[in-house]
Order: sequence, then C-alpha cells, then structure tokens
Amino acid sequence: MEALIEWARGPFFWAALTFMVLGLLRHLAITLWDIFRVLRRAGDKNMPYKQIATNTVKWLFPIDKVGNRFVLSMTSVCFHIAVILVPIFLAGHIALWKRGTSLSWPALPNLASDILTIIAVISAVAIVIQRSMAKASRGLSRFQDYALPLIIAIPFATGFLVMHPQWNPFPFNVMFLLHVVSANVVLILVPLTKISHCVLLPLTQLVSEVAWHFPENAGSKVGVALGKEGEPI
Amino acid sequence: MTSRLTILKSILWIIVGIWAMVTVARFTHGLGATTNLSDVTPWGLWIGFDVMAGVALAAGGFVLAATVYIFGLERYRPFVRPAILTAFLGYIAVAVGLLYDLGLPWNIWHPMINWQHHSVLFEVAMCVMLYLSVLALEFAPTILENSLFDRPLFRRILAVLKKVTLPLVVAGIILSTLHQSSLGSLFLIAPHRLHPLWYSPIIYLLFFVSAVGLGLMMVTLESLLSGYFFKHKVNTKLLSGLGLAASVVLGIYVAIRVGDMAIRGVLGGAFEASWMSTLFWFELCVCAVIPAILLAIPRIRRSIAGLGLCSGMTVFGMVMYRIDVCIVAFARPEGFSYFPHWTEFAVSLGIVAAAVLVFIFFVERLKVYEHPMDQAEIPTIGPSFDPVTVRSLVPAAVTAPRRYSLLFIVGASLAIAFLPQQAVLGTKPHYTPVAATRTIDGFVIENEKVGEPNTIGFIEDVGAIPAGAMVTPLIIIDGNRDGRLTLFNHQGHEDRLGGEESCASCHHLNMPMDRASSCHECHRDMYEPTLIFNHESHVRGTDGNQGCVKCHDPSSAVKSYETATACRECHAESIMSGPVIADPEDRWNSAVGYMAAMHGLCRQCHINKAEMTPGEFPVSLQDCRACHNANHTVIFSEMIPRVKNSESQ
Repeated sequence: MEALIEWARGPFFWAALTFMVLGLLRHLAITLWDIFRVLRRAGDKNMPYKQIATNTVKWLFPIDKVGNRFVLSMTSVCFHIAVILVPIFLAGHIALWKRGTSLSWPALPNLASDILTIIAVISAVAIVIQRSMAKASRGLSRFQDYALPLIIAIPFATGFLVMHPQWNPFPFNVMFLLHVVSANVVLILVPLTKISHCVLLPLTQLVSEVAWHFPENAGSKVGVALGKEGEPI
Repeated sequence: MTSRLTILKSILWIIVGIWAMVTVARFTHGLGATTNLSDVTPWGLWIGFDVMAGVALAAGGFVLAATVYIFGLERYRPFVRPAILTAFLGYIAVAVGLLYDLGLPWNIWHPMINWQHHSVLFEVAMCVMLYLSVLALEFAPTILENSLFDRPLFRRILAVLKKVTLPLVVAGIILSTLHQSSLGSLFLIAPHRLHPLWYSPIIYLLFFVSAVGLGLMMVTLESLLSGYFFKHKVNTKLLSGLGLAASVVLGIYVAIRVGDMAIRGVLGGAFEASWMSTLFWFELCVCAVIPAILLAIPRIRRSIAGLGLCSGMTVFGMVMYRIDVCIVAFARPEGFSYFPHWTEFAVSLGIVAAAVLVFIFFVERLKVYEHPMDQAEIPTIGPSFDPVTVRSLVPAAVTAPRRYSLLFIVGASLAIAFLPQQAVLGTKPHYTPVAATRTIDGFVIENEKVGEPNTIGFIEDVGAIPAGAMVTPLIIIDGNRDGRLTLFNHQGHEDRLGGEESCASCHHLNMPMDRASSCHECHRDMYEPTLIFNHESHVRGTDGNQGCVKCHDPSSAVKSYETATACRECHAESIMSGPVIADPEDRWNSAVGYMAAMHGLCRQCHINKAEMTPGEFPVSLQDCRACHNANHTVIFSEMIPRVKNSESQ
C-alpha cells in the first residue's frame, strides 16, 4: 500500500501532470495554427477583433444568460468556483508544492476549503440530476457529460475524508490512494475530454468568427461541386 | 486511412515523445543521474551505436556517389538521392548522438579551433564536420528544386551546385575514406584493452571495407522498406547489382579479417570454447559470411525476400561489430559491468526515429525517389471546429498533426512515469549506513603529569601489555566501517563523569522503552541527516484514523511535521536531563549525520571541560589528536586478519 501511494503521488502524478500541461498546450497550438491557416486563405481578411473580445468576455461571465435556467446556472457557477479554487488554493496542496519546488502562494482558510469541497461534490451530483431531468438537455448529452461531473467529484469526496480522518470510516491509506489516483485520472482526462474548455473557451468566439471567413470564390466552387453552377444556393 | 505509413509514423512519434522527455532529463540532471555510463565505461551505447554504427550505416552516400559519378554506372542513379539523404540525416544523427554523450556538449566546436595534430579523434571530428557540410551541399539541389525556391537567387545557387557536383563527390569520398577508417584507428591506442579476436593492427582497413559493404546493403534495405511503406514497385534488377557488389566486398572483408588473424597467429583463439569466440563467429557469420554466400546466388539476390534477409543480416551484424568493438570486447576493470539504461536506448532509438520521420517528410514533399508518391498521404487543407474529437471526415492536414502530437505527448508522459527518480529530481546524496560500535579489550595508561591526556591502545599481542597499563574494554567507533576508527574509553569517561548517574551527559535522547540508546540508533547515516520519525508505527499505535487528531490538531491548516503535537508531550521520559548538548527540539524529525553528532558531542564536552577548569584538564583535549590516532587505524588493520581467523575457528 505504501509503495502504491508513493507510485501514485510520484511517477504517476508527474506523468499525469505532464500529460495535462502538454495536452492543453497542444490544443492551444493546434487551434491557433488552424485559425492562422484559415485566415491566410480567407477571401475577407477583416476581422471584428473588438467585437470578438467583447463577446469572449461576455461568454466567460454569462450573467445575462443566468435567468434562462436559474437553478442550473447557479449550480454550475458554484461547481466551477469550487473545482477551480480548492485544488489550487488548498493549504495542504500548497505545502506539497513548496516542499517539491519551493514555490508557494496564499492559501484558503481550511474552513473555506471544506465548504467549497462539499459544494463541489453536491453541485456535481446536482448538475447530473438536472441534466438528466430536462428533456432538452438529455437530447444534447453524451456519456461524458454525465460521467465527468461524477468523476471530478471523486477526488473531492475522498480528499474531504483524507482531510478529516476522524470522520473517515475507511482505512486512511486506501482513501489517500483513491484521492491521489482519482485526481491523476482527472488530470489525464482534462485534455482528452470537454474539460479542455479550461484553455479553449477564450478562443471559441474567435474560432466561430474565423469559420465564416471562406476562401475567395468558395461559394461558386461549392456550386460547381454540387453541379448547381450559377444557381443560388 | 490507417495505412502502413500512418502506423509507422505513429510508432515513431511515440518514440520521439519518449526521447524528448529523456532529453530534458539528460540535459538538466546530467549523465550520472540518467544513464549507466561511468568513469569506467565512458563509451557506452551512444558511442557504440549512434557514432560508430551511425557513421558506418551512412556509408551508402559516398559508395553510391562513387558508383554513379566516378565509375559512371549511370543505371544506379535512382539510388543516389535516397543514399545521400540517408547519409546526411545519418551524420546529423551522429552529431546529435555525440552531443548527448559529451559532458560539455557546448564545446563540440572546439576541434575546429584547437587543433590536436596527434589525436585520431581530431581527424575524425574534422572529417565528420567537413563531410556533413559536403552532404548538405550534395543534398541541397533536391530542396532547391522545390517550387518554393523557384526564384532567381535560388536558381543561380542551384546551377552552381550542379556544376560543382563532381568536386563535391570527390571530396565526400576522400573525407569518408579518411574517417570511416580512422574510427577503427581509435582502437590502435588501446591494444591491450580490446579483445584479441577484435583487435587488429589493420583495424582501420576492416572498418573501411565493412563500411563499404554495409553502405551497399543499407541502400538496398532502405529501397525495400520505402517500397513497402510508400507502396511503389522495387527495381530488383538494379538492387541485385548492388547485392553482387556487396557480396564481393563482404567476401573481401571476411578474407582480410580472418586472414589477418591467421597471419598474426591469433586465429586459434576463435576456436576456444568461450563466450567471446561464440560471439565472434556469430557476428562474423551474420554480418558478412552468410550474406556474402547468399548474395552470390543469382536467384536469391534477385528476390525481394533474399535481398531483405541479406541486407537485414548485414545491417544487424555490422552494427553488432561496431558495438562489440566499442563495448562488449572492450575490457573493463574487474567487477565493473555495463548494460545501457533504458534511457540510453530511448535516446538512440529516438534519434533514429526522428531521422526516419525527417526522411519520410522529405520523401513526401521532395523528389527523392523518382516514383510518384501515394496521393492519399499528401495533405489537403481545411479547417475544423471540434478540436477535441478527431473526426474521420476531416482532411489529413488537420488530423495528422492532431494524431501525431497526441502520440508525442503520450510518449513523453510515459517516459516521465518510468524515468528513475534521480533523473526527475536530480541526484540524491549516497546513503552511508552507520553500524553499531564494537567493544575490544585495550589498555589505559594514566598519565600522572597534569596537562597530558591518558594513553589508550589496543592489546596487539596477548601478554604484551605495556608496563603500568590497566586492561579495560574500549569502544571502537567506526560508523561506516572504513577502518579509520576512533578508540573510546567508555569506562574511563563514565568513572570520571560520575558513574551511572552520568549516562545522560551523552545519551541525550532514548528510543522508546530503552535506556542509554546507542548513537547509531538515531544518527543512522554517516554524513546526511536521517528521518527518525516513524509515522506508520504511530498510526498503528494510536488507533488508526481516530488517532490522527492526537497529533494533528483538526483546526490547523496543514497536517505537517511543523504543526503536529510536540513529541515531548508524549515522550517526556525519552529526554534525559542535563546532557552536554542542547535540549532536543519539540519535534524530532531528523537526526544529524553520525560524524556531525560525534564531533558535536565530544568536542563540545572537551571544550567545556578545558575552559571550565583550565588547570585540571590538558589543553590538548581540544585537539583532533585527543581522539584521532592514526596508529590505532594501522594497528587495527593489521589485527583484522587475526580477528577473522579466530572467528572462523
């Protein structure tokens, strides 16, 4: 068990972290390269950059869309805040970073971390329930949309029990191993699933805009390909 | 879509990913932390495979250039470009491989400035550098013919390069002849370290002839492989011509190698039953004898299977020959062995994989082969909008970077998971465990004169106790058992400091349920501090999960050593009162190294005593020689055989 824990927090963690960082950089690089390539061939090279920037900020904080499905929106906001803050600003995690790399930054008070952790777990479950309850959401959902919130909740639930061993009914080492392994799995999933929106979201507005910048005479070429030359498409 | 080429490229990209991560480790933490190379084996796989075999594998370039341009055999012209490209990439691979092996890789250009006329390596370095430049110029026309360079300036350069082809080819042949042979000459300076079955005063000739044969076979193998992967027809008629030439050259190689051994009278050694003679025959048969015989048979050298088998054997065997000379048959001191770490294989394979990828890149985009390439692999351009999922409808220009970059990252992550810890975090100090003290009978002569220390020593010979001496047990302090010991009169110190009451003066902290614990029980390493806190036993002893709060206050932010309950709160009985050294800290995490502990305790006490009562204690008590006596070490080393004998009886 000790050896397994050492492996999970040592080599396995390094591998997972490397995979996540390189994987996210890969997404960024490929997206930027694609945008660059499309723009180079585009007939209309004028881009409304100011509008794209405004839209990007608007969609990063979609306050005016909250009223749409208020409860789901609020659950989602809580989930995001908790999932982003706790792993980065938990005092115990910062202590580990400091020990390994001598980097450190201000930590959340433990009580705040505890509350946010509970919020993360509850809101993850709530998101899955609300997704499966609404017919419109069900139609749009893939397997990963149900699975990911629950998978992300595992390191939070196990982490809470690790932080509070007196309430942990299972052996401490088992819980600790589960916490580390499940967190590593989430790190690996980040670049492979829709969690990669953590770096790609700021680019979505740009990508959508670029997509409408066709090469010169693209329309007539499509017409030729469809055998409807000269006809309105 | 998953053609042979896609599968090949996928595998190569994974290897390149692994290579990239090993490269980061190699250049951040150095050779010692990442390889099995040592001062005893400074030349390992990287020199044996990347440099020695790499140069030989690239010999096809000058051999084919000579065939076509010097001997005028025009029909072999289709092989020249791929051979030159292989040689060019091969020599770049050699240079890159060398960068990994050099301790100070940024000094690789030094031979250009600091000419060491007597060094064979200087000649090799200059030749390889010059030949790499020649190869670049020889290959440049292939690049400049591309439409991307269809501009007046490039057209003029292309015309000049085509005009100087012949001088370049001549220069290439001269340079290759020089350094292919002098790679063998390197071993002339170590005639007694190279096994007699491999050493030869004409080893340079063997290296050169074998390189020519290998070059021909390498071009053959490469044509077969590119025919397989790019799905174009292989011209077996032309290849059989190369095969016949290789058969002759390999035959000459065998004749020189065996003939030279027979003339010098060392051939007998090849018939002794030993690993080395088996290796010798295996290597010779695989690299030359069998291929030479098989290729002499027209039916075999005209079939793809026959050519593939022979060229594969020669390539494998000749690589083995270079590695044997460089590593296996090269003598090392007794007790030192070498087998490459997996990181060394990763670097060697990674360089080859990268070279193959560049080769494929050039073949796909430039006119290296005369056959048209498979159009399905040539990318078309198009945008995509789902960056996470690779869709099959998306054109190759979009999917290929996605696929290969993902595989690269998978390779890199795998590599970091399997790298040794020291390669990720850097080398840790060596652990030097400390053993318990031993007790031996000795003598003490009390000096009556004030200011002089007592004399203590071993009883070297039973019955030969010096006059006026008293027999007493002495403690041998020799923590790392290197024989450089200090004799310690424990009884005398105890008597002087006040009998049993005085234990606490030195034994300042006890193990649980122990009294006067020995120094080595906590100070477990000779030089480095060691962890003395056993978390696991505390978890067991304090009732598992419920016990955590006994040491870790639930309200504290972090469960760490710094915030845990002080050890003295539970283990007050372990702390002795009134020791010479300062009280232990609240939390006992690590104990200083054994040597530091000994010096800290003994010296401190000696200094205190000498200062407190200047008249009573000798001044020399503070000196090194008060405890360290070189004679004791000498006598003890002479006593060890006697002690061993008495133990065995």
